Amino acid sequence: MNYIGEHLWAAELGRGLTAFSFVFALLSTFAYYSKGEDWKTVGRLAFRLHAITLFGLIGTLFFIMANHYFEFDYVWKHTSLDLPPRYLFSAFWEGQEGSFLLWMFWNAILGWVLTYTAKNFEGPVVGVFAAVQAFLVSMILGIWIGDYQLGYSPFNLVRELPENLGLPWTQFEDYLTRFPNFMDGSGLNPLLQNYWMTIHPPTLFLGFASTLIPFSYAIAGLLRKDYTSWISSALKWSVFSVGILGVGILMGGAWAYEALSFGGFWAWDPVENTSLVPWLTMAAGTHLLLIQRNKGGVMPSVLFLLIISFLLVLYSTFLTRSGILGDSSVHAFVDLGLSGQLLIYLLFFTLGSLGLFLARYRGLPKKEKEDRMDSREFWMFIGALVLLISGLQITLSTSYPVFNKLFGPEGLIHLYDENKVLNDPIKHYNAIQVPFAIIITLLIGAGQFLSYRQTSSKLFFQRQITTLVATTILTGLSAWALDMWNPMYITLMWTSYYAVIANLEFWIRWGKGQWNFAGASVAHVGFGLLIAGALVSNANKDIISQNRTFIHEDFPANENLLLSLGDTVEMGKYWATWSGQNEEGYYINYELEFFEEIDGKLEAAFNLSPRIQLNERMGNVAEPSTRHTLTKDIYTHVTYADLRTEEERGTDEWKNEFELELNVGDTHFLYGKYQLELDTLVVDAPHSEGELDYAILGAGLTITTLEDSVYKVMPVYAVQGNQAQQVDAEIKELGLKFSFDRINYESNKPVIIASEHTEAEVPFILVKAEVFPWINLLWLGSILMAVGTGIAIAQRVKRERK
Amino acid sequence: MKNSQIAIIIAIAVLIGFTLVNLGNSATYSSFADASLKQGETTTVIGYLNLEEPMSFDAKTVTLTFAAKDKKGNASTVVYNQPKPQDFERSEEITMTGYATDSAFIATDILMKCPSKYNEQNEVDSDKIYK
Repeated sequence: MNYIGEHLWAAELGRGLTAFSFVFALLSTFAYYSKGEDWKTVGRLAFRLHAITLFGLIGTLFFIMANHYFEFDYVWKHTSLDLPPRYLFSAFWEGQEGSFLLWMFWNAILGWVLTYTAKNFEGPVVGVFAAVQAFLVSMILGIWIGDYQLGYSPFNLVRELPENLGLPWTQFEDYLTRFPNFMDGSGLNPLLQNYWMTIHPPTLFLGFASTLIPFSYAIAGLLRKDYTSWISSALKWSVFSVGILGVGILMGGAWAYEALSFGGFWAWDPVENTSLVPWLTMAAGTHLLLIQRNKGGVMPSVLFLLIISFLLVLYSTFLTRSGILGDSSVHAFVDLGLSGQLLIYLLFFTLGSLGLFLARYRGLPKKEKEDRMDSREFWMFIGALVLLISGLQITLSTSYPVFNKLFGPEGLIHLYDENKVLNDPIKHYNAIQVPFAIIITLLIGAGQFLSYRQTSSKLFFQRQITTLVATTILTGLSAWALDMWNPMYITLMWTSYYAVIANLEFWIRWGKGQWNFAGASVAHVGFGLLIAGALVSNANKDIISQNRTFIHEDFPANENLLLSLGDTVEMGKYWATWSGQNEEGYYINYELEFFEEIDGKLEAAFNLSPRIQLNERMGNVAEPSTRHTLTKDIYTHVTYADLRTEEERGTDEWKNEFELELNVGDTHFLYGKYQLELDTLVVDAPHSEGELDYAILGAGLTITTLEDSVYKVMPVYAVQGNQAQQVDAEIKELGLKFSFDRINYESNKPVIIASEHTEAEVPFILVKAEVFPWINLLWLGSILMAVGTGIAIAQRVKRERK
Repeated sequence: MKNSQIAIIIAIAVLIGFTLVNLGNSATYSSFADASLKQGETTTVIGYLNLEEPMSFDAKTVTLTFAAKDKKGNASTVVYNQPKPQDFERSEEITMTGYATDSAFIATDILMKCPSKYNEQNEVDSDKIYK
């Protein structure tokens, strides 16, 4: 059958390019690992053809998305006609297929750059790239081998999906115009329609892609048994990797803080954890590369760290894309059924690289002379080791779902009967990672006063007298100002200030304040500030929306404040009013006005508008609104609001119907404001000739308000034969109505329905407001880290040119 | 023995230590029945909302009360002193962390799994298409 209106050429082109891209990647791998200059030329050509076909296929996918060809599953799932063009990129990498393409895109660019810069290491280095690309392209191949689908193509037509094959609608050649479903796609998830989604994934994936370069150099070195000539190149790229990956991760944190209501920038979610771990090991590897270049003797550790950094990226990919995190993460990908392929990808590189490492281990250059305990390199080594343990601890705790799959009740090797889980992940990670952060920041500081090879202890202390005094004074002042006396926190504060000041001092002492030498110092200062900012803003977080009326010790109930429309309530040192709401696209904005008390008068301070996104796909989502000031942020979000439309709320005068079953003498606390009691039940039920003529029942109710006003009413229920009738009772002053609905014949209790008059009900919302003090330190630190690594790379490139 | 080797051995020991601590500390998914045997102890129960029983949310006291059943079929009343999560009624599965008391399970944290959250709910629905 010839279907009308389909753009089959695009499907053919896209799939064709995918297939060629895959074949070229394989060819390139093979050629690069064959001996001879000719083969190298073939490998390079094949890699570039792979990259060109890859760019072509990315372009094709962009084209069909931009033109809304809704017969394509990927287009239909991720775009819609009303999607603003600026979100096209976000839509492109919203799905697994697109984000794989983003990753491959960066790998292709970096690989291409390496065909120029890697010089005589081009063969084995770009060869590894080609192999990785072959695996990645296979994820989107979408070809069937018997009953097994290899990869999941973004060029699948909706009608070709297995679940749609043979369905009646596929029998119409004009299905695209016949069925309204194909007129418009389901669009980009509104939650992802913001600029963070445009910048965060490309940065993070560039970070992921960049971990492959040091890995490739390590593999190349092992293959050639060359453990010297690639160190400088690998070092430059590993600094790049630390910088970009760090920025990518922190952007995710900034996104969470700015636009999502997770309540902070870091939640120890598995997806966050598994992207942090490669950064930790890459940072460790970079520092060891430095030692190796300056002094040598740490080759085995360097190789190990560079290798596992990339392997941990693969592990992260496996966790977030195989569906295994389902129960424990809020933002893992939808499972595409690629878990088998992902596992093979992970195992191939893990076994291959670690196997090669172990095979070569005996021949690796080892230390000739032992490091002295007073040398800089010894403590840098310890620092790298601590980063590694910290990363492995996070990996271990994040891997519970994997352990459950392997050893749990339905596991491969049955070791325990109940699936294991972390009850309070945030507490768990903080408890373990804070001590690590203390050691790391301490070493970052102390290392600056140590020299390579050896340092006399006199010199070590002389150098840092000023720093120690300044750090201690600053810590004392901060602790006093913030009233923060937890010994663990004070220690971390001291060590992170120490790291900051020591590095500043080092830069002034050795770098003479010149930008050329600032790279490492600026990055270290940034790291220290980041840790200090994270500590202070979290440990001193103040929830100002305390609900004073219903204080319940240890109950978090008091963290949400009820704001009735127009009412002004106290919130920390502020007063807040909910003055109204307005709708804007997917959003309902809630207008909050904040006032400050100045000389006994309330003065307008600032306005915030936290909002709720009406999101049919993910469920409605609260988005925070934050007042930024230099020393603190005031972060608010709406935790409860009545989202029913006028229609759903109904035009009824009466609402909040509430059914009560009461015995005489029973009481009930109604609507949180009235005490209701059934005093009497009046019954008039005459019989004649054994038959019930009729029955009239009256329920005598007493209603007591919180102000102790007492009202008495009697709703009536009458029944004759099959006919029943009610006479309702109203209390006009309170806007209450009672209806004697029926007798429950099972419990023999009268059933009363209470309802409230519309006007008696004032609209309200619940708001949670938190103050994050000094969170700007965290952002400043992040920026300095990025700038510092940038300077460091520029330094290295410059030095190489000389 | 070299200093760096000692450091590596210490590192390995620390890591093994963490593994043991983890195994000791980690809880298992529990049931309401188990939870009520260990009143006051924090556990995690996976269950689902029982919509046949009444559910109430009192905004003034920020108390959500609902009936839930765990995977083994034990029923319990659950009290959650947080604002009612959006689309709570639509949840397919609820992960409740909290502790049992005589009268109810007090949840301190709730994670919901909504049908729409994981599947994108945009399969072409042939019923819809024939309208």
